[in-house]
Amino acid sequence: MTASIGHSFVLLAFLLALVGIIAPIVGARSGDNRCLSLARWAIFGQFVLVTLAASALVYGLITTDFSIKYVAFNTTRATPIYYRVTGLWGALEGSLLLWEWILIIFAGITAALYRERHKELMPWVIVIFSIVSAFFLGVVAFASNPFETISPVPPDGRGLNPLLEDANMMTHPPLLYTGFVGLTVPFAFAMAALVVGRLDEAWILSTRRWTITAWFFLTAGNLVGAWWSYHVLGWGGYWAWDPVENAAFMPWLPATAFLHSIQVQERRRMLKVWNLSLIIIAFSLTIFGTFLTRSGILSSIHAFSSGPVGAIFLVFLSFVLLGSFGLLAYRADLLKGQPELDSMVSRESAFLLNNIVLVSALFTIFLGTIFPLISEAVAGVQVSVGAPYFNSVTVPLFLCLVFLMAVGPIIAWRRASWDNLKRNFLWPAAMALAIGIILFVWKVRDFLPLLGFTLLAFVVCTIVYDTALALRARKRIAGEGIVRGLITLARRNQRRYGGFVVHLGIVLIILGIAGSMTYSIEKEATLAVKQELTIGNYRIQFEGLTGSQQSTHFRVEAAFRVFHNGSEEGVLNPALKFFPAQQSPIGRAVHQSSLSEDIYLILSGFSEVGRNQATLKVLVRPLVIWMWIGGFVIVLGTLICILPIGKPTPQED
Amino acid sequence: MTRSRRFLIGGVIILAALSYMIYGGMQEAIVYFVTPSELKAKEPISTDKFLRMGGMVVKGSLQKDLKDLTYRFELTDGSATFPVFFKGVPPDLFTEGKGAVVEGRIGNDGVFQATTIMAKHAEEYSPHADGKGAAKSFIPGKENSAK
Repeated sequence: MTASIGHSFVLLAFLLALVGIIAPIVGARSGDNRCLSLARWAIFGQFVLVTLAASALVYGLITTDFSIKYVAFNTTRATPIYYRVTGLWGALEGSLLLWEWILIIFAGITAALYRERHKELMPWVIVIFSIVSAFFLGVVAFASNPFETISPVPPDGRGLNPLLEDANMMTHPPLLYTGFVGLTVPFAFAMAALVVGRLDEAWILSTRRWTITAWFFLTAGNLVGAWWSYHVLGWGGYWAWDPVENAAFMPWLPATAFLHSIQVQERRRMLKVWNLSLIIIAFSLTIFGTFLTRSGILSSIHAFSSGPVGAIFLVFLSFVLLGSFGLLAYRADLLKGQPELDSMVSRESAFLLNNIVLVSALFTIFLGTIFPLISEAVAGVQVSVGAPYFNSVTVPLFLCLVFLMAVGPIIAWRRASWDNLKRNFLWPAAMALAIGIILFVWKVRDFLPLLGFTLLAFVVCTIVYDTALALRARKRIAGEGIVRGLITLARRNQRRYGGFVVHLGIVLIILGIAGSMTYSIEKEATLAVKQELTIGNYRIQFEGLTGSQQSTHFRVEAAFRVFHNGSEEGVLNPALKFFPAQQSPIGRAVHQSSLSEDIYLILSGFSEVGRNQATLKVLVRPLVIWMWIGGFVIVLGTLICILPIGKPTPQED
Repeated sequence: MTRSRRFLIGGVIILAALSYMIYGGMQEAIVYFVTPSELKAKEPISTDKFLRMGGMVVKGSLQKDLKDLTYRFELTDGSATFPVFFKGVPPDLFTEGKGAVVEGRIGNDGVFQATTIMAKHAEEYSPHADGKGAAKSFIPGKENSAK
C-alpha cells in the first residue's frame, strides 16, 4: 500500500518535471507569462510530491513494512528507530530519492526567492532544474525504484551494514548530498546566462551565497566522512584515497577554485570562460561521483551494488558535458574581449595561480582514480593506484596552495608595487621565518614538514597582521576597541573577514593532516594480562577481557590502562563486535584526544581459550584534533560570509 | 604576442612539472594485480615491483606466531600456489579457506613479503567453480560483479 502510493508520487512528480522543462521553453517562444508561472508551480508541485514520496519511504522504514524490498533489505525489526530513518539513504535506491528531495528543495527555494528578480534568467534556471530533477525522478521511478515490492513478504529484514549503524550516518551522507546538489544552483544560473546570452556578472552575483553554501556543505560532508572513518572504521586513518572518497572530494576542488575566480570576474571582468567551465566541471563531477559510486566499476567500501544505474548516469553525464560545453562554444563570440592581466604580481594573478593549482590537483586525483580503468581497457593490465601516488602528487600542490592562501587575499589588485608588498608582507614573512627557525631548532628537521609548518604560520601571520592594521585604523577613526572593531570590520566586509576565518580553519585542517601524516607512530603486540607495551611517551597495560550481549550483537571488550609520561590517563576499551549475520567481527577502535596528539587503540584479536591474551594495535597520531577544530572554524567563517549581518559600505576591501 | 608567448611558456612549464609529478608518483604507487599462477609462470621474478596478489588461503597452510605477529601461508588460484609471509595484524576476516588479497614484494627467498592483507567479506562472496575465478573476483573493479 505504502509502496504503490509512494511510487505514484514519484511518477506524478516526474510528469511535473516534464512540465517544468517544456512550459518555460514554450513561454520563451510565445511570450506568454503564464507559462513561467506554470513552470514555477510545477517545481513547487514536485517539491510537495517528492516530500510525500520520501515520507512514504521513511514511513515504510519506520513501520518495517517488509513488503517493500528496500525496507526488507535495509532494516530489521531490531533496528533502532533512528537507523530506520537513516535507512532512507542507506542504499542506492533511497539515496537517489534523498538526492532528488534535496535538489527539489533547492529548486523550490530558488523559484520562490527569485519570483520578481532575474526575469530573463529564471525561466531557463527552472528548465535546468527540471531537467536534472526529471533525470533523478526518472531513475527513481523506472530504473532504481525504492518502492519495489517483494513477495512473499519476509518475516524479518536483512538490515543495514553494521558499519553504517553509527551516529555519523545521520549527518555525513545528507551533508555531502546537500553540497553536491547545492552546486546545481550556480550551474543552473550559468547555463541560463549562456542560453540567454547575458554573460555579464549578474549570474555570479546572484549565486554567490549559494555557491558558498554548497561549498560549505561539501567541506563539512567530507570532514564528517573523515571523522567517521577515523572514529569508526578502526584503522586509525581518516582518508584512504579510496575511489569514492575521491569522488566526494573532487567536486570540492573546482568549487573552491570557482569561489575564488568569480571574485576576479566580479572585480576585473576577467576569466569569464574559465568560470563557466569551472562550474560545469564541478557540477559534472557530482554526477560523475554518483556514477562511480553507483556503477560498481571501481571497488570501494562505499560502493553501492551494481545495476543499470551506472550506465544511465554515464549517459546523463555525457549529455551534461556535451550540452553545457556546447552552449559555451555557441556563445564563444560573446565571451571574447576580456581585460588582460596587468602584472604577474597582483591579486588576480594569485587567484589565477590558485585556480591552476586546484585544477591540477583535480586532474591528478582524477587520473589516479580512473587509471585502473584506463589501464585495463587499453593495456588489459590490472593495476591499482595506491595512496602513495595521491600523497606524493597532492602534497606539493597543497603546499603551493597554502602559500597562495597567504598572498592572495592581501596582495593588491592589478599590480602590486614594491611598497605595497613590503607593507603587507614584510612583517608577516619575518614572523613566519622566525617560527620556522624555532621549529627547526626545536625538532622539525625534515624539509617538507618544516616548509609546510612555516607556510601555515605565514598564512596566520598575514591574516593577523592585516586585521591588526585594520583594527588600528578603526581605533583611530572611531575609537573602537578590538572586539567592537572586529565586529565592525566583519559587518563592513563580510566576505573578506569571513574568508579569513575560513582560511584559518583550512590552516588548522592542514596542520592536523601534516602532523598526523608526518609524525604518526604505530606498534602492534600480543599481550597477556598485566603485560605492557611502550610506544612514544605512552605505556599501555592489558587489564583483561569482558564479553557482553548487546541488542544487535555480542561485544568483546578489552581493557587497557594508559600511562602518559608515567602518569595514569585512564582505561581505554577497544572492542570487537560479533553480528549474527556476519561471519567476522567488526572492530570498534577507541582513542583519546589531546591538543597535541591522539592515542588510538585497535583490538585486533584475542585468545578464545582462556581469554587472557589480546592482540593490540596502537597508534599515536599528533595534531589530529586540529582537523576537527578547523572544521568548526570553517563553520564560523562561512556564517560570517553568508549571514545577512552586513552593513553596506561605499567601497570593498 | 610576447604576452601570449609568456603564457604559453608558463603553461608548458606547469604541464611539464605536473607530468613529472604524476609520472614519479605513479612509479612509486602503482600496484599490479597478479594471480599465483601468473607469478609462477614469470619466474624468476623481479623483486622490485610492488604487487597485489589475490587468491584463497590454502587450508592447512596457515602458520601463525601470535607472539611475533608473523603469519606464513599459501595463496592459491586453483592451478598454482604461492607462499606468503606477513608480519603485523591481519584484518578480521582473514582466515584459512577464505579469499584474501596481499600487497607487497617478492623477497629474495621467493616468498611474497606482504605489507598489507586485505580480506573479502565472506557474505558477499560466492566461490566460483574454479579457484581462478575466485582469485579474479578480487581484481579491482571486478569485485562487485563477483557477487
